[in-house]
Amino acid sequence: MAAGELKLSGWEVGEVRRLPGMDVKKIGKDLYEIFIGPQHPGSGHMRIIVRLDGDVMVEVDPDLGYVHRTMEKLAEGRSYIKVIPLMERMAILDACNITLPYVEAVEKLLGLEPPERARYLRVLLCEINRIASHLYGMGIFGVFLGHSTMYMWPFGDREVFVELAERLTGARLTHTYAIPGGVRRDVPEGFTDDLRKAIRYMRKRLEDYRKIFLDNPVIRARLEDVGVISRNLAIELGIVGPNLRASGVEYDVRLVEPYEAYDELDFEIPVFEEGDALARTWVRVEEIKQSLRILEQVADKLDKMPREGVMHDKFWAKAPKLYKDVYAKEGRVKLMPLFATLRVPKGKAFARAEAGRGEIVYYVESDGGMTPYRVRVVSPSFRNAIVFKYIAPGHRLMDLPAIYGSIDYFPPEADR
Amino acid sequence: MSGAITWLGEWLFWPPFFQLVIAPGLVAALVIVIFILWFERKAAARVQMRVGPYNVSPRLGGALQLIADLVRYSFQEFIMPFTVDRAAFVAAPLLLLLASMLPMAVIPVSPVLPYSYAWPNIMKYNLLLALALATLSPIFTVVAGWASNNKFSLIGAARESFMVTAYELIFVLALLSTAAPVHSYDLVKIVEAQSTWKLMALLNPPAFLAAFIATLLSTSGFPFEIPESEHEVVAGPFTEYSGLMYGVEMGAAYIKRYAMSVLMALAFFSGWKPLDPQPGAGVWSGYVAPLVVVLVKATIIMAVMSFLRAVYGRYRLDQALHLAWKILLPLALLGYAIGLVYGYLGVL
Amino acid sequence: MPAVPSRKRVPSYGFLSSIKGNLEALTIGLKYFLNPNRSTLHYPREYIKLRPGYRGYIVLNKAKCIMCESCARICPASAMKMVRFQAPDPKRPGKMKLYKYPVINYQRCIFCGLCVDVCPTEALRHVPAHDVVYMNLAEMELDLEAFQQEPKSPAEEEGGIPVRYIFDSEKGLVKVRASEGGGGQ
Repeated sequence: MAAGELKLSGWEVGEVRRLPGMDVKKIGKDLYEIFIGPQHPGSGHMRIIVRLDGDVMVEVDPDLGYVHRTMEKLAEGRSYIKVIPLMERMAILDACNITLPYVEAVEKLLGLEPPERARYLRVLLCEINRIASHLYGMGIFGVFLGHSTMYMWPFGDREVFVELAERLTGARLTHTYAIPGGVRRDVPEGFTDDLRKAIRYMRKRLEDYRKIFLDNPVIRARLEDVGVISRNLAIELGIVGPNLRASGVEYDVRLVEPYEAYDELDFEIPVFEEGDALARTWVRVEEIKQSLRILEQVADKLDKMPREGVMHDKFWAKAPKLYKDVYAKEGRVKLMPLFATLRVPKGKAFARAEAGRGEIVYYVESDGGMTPYRVRVVSPSFRNAIVFKYIAPGHRLMDLPAIYGSIDYFPPEADR
Repeated sequence: MSGAITWLGEWLFWPPFFQLVIAPGLVAALVIVIFILWFERKAAARVQMRVGPYNVSPRLGGALQLIADLVRYSFQEFIMPFTVDRAAFVAAPLLLLLASMLPMAVIPVSPVLPYSYAWPNIMKYNLLLALALATLSPIFTVVAGWASNNKFSLIGAARESFMVTAYELIFVLALLSTAAPVHSYDLVKIVEAQSTWKLMALLNPPAFLAAFIATLLSTSGFPFEIPESEHEVVAGPFTEYSGLMYGVEMGAAYIKRYAMSVLMALAFFSGWKPLDPQPGAGVWSGYVAPLVVVLVKATIIMAVMSFLRAVYGRYRLDQALHLAWKILLPLALLGYAIGLVYGYLGVL
Repeated sequence: MPAVPSRKRVPSYGFLSSIKGNLEALTIGLKYFLNPNRSTLHYPREYIKLRPGYRGYIVLNKAKCIMCESCARICPASAMKMVRFQAPDPKRPGKMKLYKYPVINYQRCIFCGLCVDVCPTEALRHVPAHDVVYMNLAEMELDLEAFQQEPKSPAEEEGGIPVRYIFDSEKGLVKVRASEGGGGQ
């Protein structure tokens, strides 16, 4: 027997044998294991360990933590305002949604309510972010199914909303827009008209998406009855967001515990019954439609409202004349120097919001100092990651990208 | 000296050699495949809100990008992992390319023979032989996957072998349904039976559709890009390949598609018609002009296939097999039945 | 009016819909093939003329600075630091005074713009540039002199065409020459 040849006889399950350059472990009879990721075109920043019997997945193990950045611990060493840009790094494409509950929690500790216009502006950016985030997810989903046009179109159309966000906040991503007490900028001139144009355009494009992707027989065949999460399983696993609503559960933080201006707006929460990959895609499309509806109402409301008061009086009443001039001229809210050393009264606060991928929860505890004592984040992707383990087995290997993409799992958000 | 030139000319213009290596074989195939790759990228870019290849030669619309890519592939390091089966690993891509090209040796591109001294007669069973040779290449894809000793390659190779069983029968049946009406396996007779607008594709659409989709199945065209499906199996059988060898393997699929398109251009789209070369015509009117017409028709068929990349995703393996066995095979049989009816009635 | 849930089902799909779906997909593909809606920016032959509100590179106006350190204190990435030095005091001849001014390290800066917003005298401002190139890491740590210089976009310096994207309800974003685009200079 030549060196490097593998002796196959009498090989027990679990036993490791040596080949030059590699150790080979027998994992089971007629099973083999492949590692999807972390260096793999279909994985993202994670690893999925798949055990296959022929072409059928027997066991699927999501292995998280490749982009863990100890955000919660880092937050304990920073003053309150500096935590916002940090937490944005969880999901930079959904920056406003992902940091809003933190800001709300700090506001609860400070005991202040943002003024009305600020609440609408927050909703405005949140919905722009939600659309951009869904389009991003759909683009990734498209390329997972080999549909390159569905990769390029949502990414190209997402640019419309990124551009809107840039006009509003000055940054394409990582807006750091909502801060305790209000928001950092008012809408620039002509913004609401541009917003309405973007809404009209996006409505038209959703019809194009339906034609080329959702009603495309190839995609239909790939998605229908794939990765079905039953209502009970969805509740049992505690998944959140569009994935939960695709399984027929009427749960959305905007519905059960409206925050900011959501209880003054007229919109629907789309809920689908099927729970398969197709339903999850449809939920996102319908949510984009509803977000466009919200944006329309917000645009009307902002036009009617007087252009003042996007910052709570605590931080604005004593502002010098220069600050008010800058706001009147540029719509930019200058921050009082005390923001750098904001002291938050002792206490515990808890807040949640519906981010693009689901419910995000923050728990903030203050010991009265300049930095939070504890910031706990539960991010939607982390709660959704467990799904792989339960719904992928029994499907064929080629269904894994369909399941992965339809969950819209975002590793940096899960790993924090 | 002149003897040597004659000898060289005889060799060069000996049909099996000339057709295989120059036109419609390797040289013509490379030119057309490069054009098609460029077209595929440009067409997808147009649909997808982008520009596509551009910067390498802005005035030609980026056409030289493909040449640049080819050069880059040629000089890239060819890495041979030490766990592979060396001989098979190296031989597979080269044989794959050769096997993809083989049908070219027997496909006639003109009804007449311009050079009397060196050309044997066009063989009578060229359609059958071309089909037989076209079914040869997938084995080398499987060999490449097997020799790579990589799980992803192995899965890709297994997928390829599933696909082979699915599309071969369909393609052969669909092409044979063009032979039935003319009572001959000779492509020349099949082409001569058609006229510029009386096309086999219009007379027998089920057979054409089956052949078209079978070509997509066999050459990993969308929506059947399954063996190389990037998001599960990286690059399928070609995962371990790099440099020129990877380029050869990727090119081989296109060359196979080209060979099958030439076959379809002859069998379904009346080959060199509207030209009608008569015996005794010179090289230009008797050989080159019909060749160009055939190649243009084949290129258009390939361009349509390339466009599908912008419209479709990929099917799952079992769905592709389902489509092939349950829908396309009956379709091909229907096409064959139609062909038999035509043959019985003597329509053509 | 708060949100209301609305239960839906995925549109049903039969054999005929699959034929219709194929045709629709091919038609829409062909439509965009014949009439493409491109949004590519040919950088650096073209570059985006950023709007005044853009959170780009930051420049210090030393004359306005009152040395309050707010910017350095609020910086979430610790990119902004104060430099301190002794220099003669113009108000009290013969005496030295401690001066401190901010400098920025663009290796760390995340362009959140908090320093600009917190500056009580508008001594810091954003310039509409975001594609500045540095030859090495050390260059990215600006000193007081460099921090007062306005960085230039390399595309602008090499004669690229300034363009701007404007919104359109038919094509989404339309690229126009910056001189034709509305909204600021």
